[in-house]
Amino acid sequence: MRRVAITGMGIVSPIGNNCEEFFSNLAAGRSGIRRMSSDFADQLSIKIAAEADFEAETYFSKKTARTMDRVSQFAMVAAAQAWQDAALELPGEEKRRAGVYLGTGMGGARTLEDSYVQLLKQNVRRLHPLTVVMVMNNAAASYISMAHGLKGPCLTFSTACSSSSVAIGEAFRLIKHGYADVMLAGGTESLLTYGIFKSWESIGTLALEAEDASTSCKPFSKDRTGFVLGEGAAILVLESMDRAKKRGARIYGELVGYGSTADADHITKPSVEGQANTMEAALEEAGIGTDAVDYINAHGTATVANDIVETQAIKKVFGQRAYEIPISSTKSMHGHLLGAAGAVELVASVLALKHQTVPPTMNLTMPDPECDLDYVPGKARTGLDLKTVMSNSFAFGGTNAVLIVKKHE
Amino acid sequence: MATTLERIKKLFLENFDLPEERLQPQATIESIGLDSLDKIEFMFALEKEFDIKIPDREVKLDSIQDMVTVIERLVAEQHVSQEQRAQ
Repeated sequence: MRRVAITGMGIVSPIGNNCEEFFSNLAAGRSGIRRMSSDFADQLSIKIAAEADFEAETYFSKKTARTMDRVSQFAMVAAAQAWQDAALELPGEEKRRAGVYLGTGMGGARTLEDSYVQLLKQNVRRLHPLTVVMVMNNAAASYISMAHGLKGPCLTFSTACSSSSVAIGEAFRLIKHGYADVMLAGGTESLLTYGIFKSWESIGTLALEAEDASTSCKPFSKDRTGFVLGEGAAILVLESMDRAKKRGARIYGELVGYGSTADADHITKPSVEGQANTMEAALEEAGIGTDAVDYINAHGTATVANDIVETQAIKKVFGQRAYEIPISSTKSMHGHLLGAAGAVELVASVLALKHQTVPPTMNLTMPDPECDLDYVPGKARTGLDLKTVMSNSFAFGGTNAVLIVKKHE
Repeated sequence: MATTLERIKKLFLENFDLPEERLQPQATIESIGLDSLDKIEFMFALEKEFDIKIPDREVKLDSIQDMVTVIERLVAEQHVSQEQRAQ
């Protein structure tokens, strides 16, 4: 069994398109949530989103900007950053033992929706010839494998809001068990479209707009009303510890545990048992006790149901220790990136280790008696001595994933 | 009014990052550095630009000159028949 190091990270997010900017905004409690810029906002009852400040033309040729869905563009930019951050060089031989695992909830749904509008509303005779490759869920992972010449496993996981945590966990195990040496793993999502907004509007989990739109998402607060849809991508470079050490790579941390479970209960309702099982499975793989966890990046969607269930699940696993662990939901700032959420939040957790700073849960101004743990409200905590962090991802469909990272010493 | 050749060149430049001097009438899709998917995509752009339908098969469109010839023929055929229908 081999150890797995995190040696590079890249991000495109509503609060910054590189890791440093992303984390400095998190630590400062700055939100990327605002009134949407899209013209269809007029037709929505909820008009807020966490949009990435991202123009394809800044990064890509005219052709790529036009023929790659935004979801793949995010992933390509995040992967290039991660690659560079890790200072990776892979000779030909090694490329066959390097791969890409990505998570996405709905892949190229944006292109699909555009296509339907053209067909059904504008009555076009033909769709763009690249529609199929723009829509397919595995496009982002494939483009990354092509860009970096990675010839090992290239898979796409789709488990709604836990997609990217699953992708990272599975990539971790691939290296751990010797099937690959280097993996680019993470997730990407770009779903800020009219049809998708309407769908979320109907299921009733979106946050209502607050007077100051940037404060609309209020995890663990009594007055919480739900999450805010966000977009972006985060990709990490996972590498066998031996390889990373041998080449003198900068090691952000060691991925030590992954829990993967299903609630087998309800298609949307979260389960205390399911969430607790997942955290326990991750702790077990990590070979650590509950005392060892110093920070939890919560799934923390700010829906009424999740925050209570997650609080109860943490208590079930950690007992009295639950009250001593700082827990935060960074979704209060970057929104809910759905299939990319787990990767973005793992990056936040790893950067918390690096900077020894726990980012806050913003907008938690009204304590909820049913959410009575330490959620680090309003202000980051600095100068800590964090050694082990946990990141939780739970999903519609009940596929849960939890990741644990240890400081490298 | 712009000639068919000029319009095709303009369309190439709008869609791809190409040096204009490469767009000579005898140049082929391959010689200007585009692949088969690019070609399909460009056919789609030509249909829109000239408001024509390019038949799916049996049309020789290898070089830019081929495109000029075929497009002028299709424009003549298809636009005339549309006018006739309108009458």
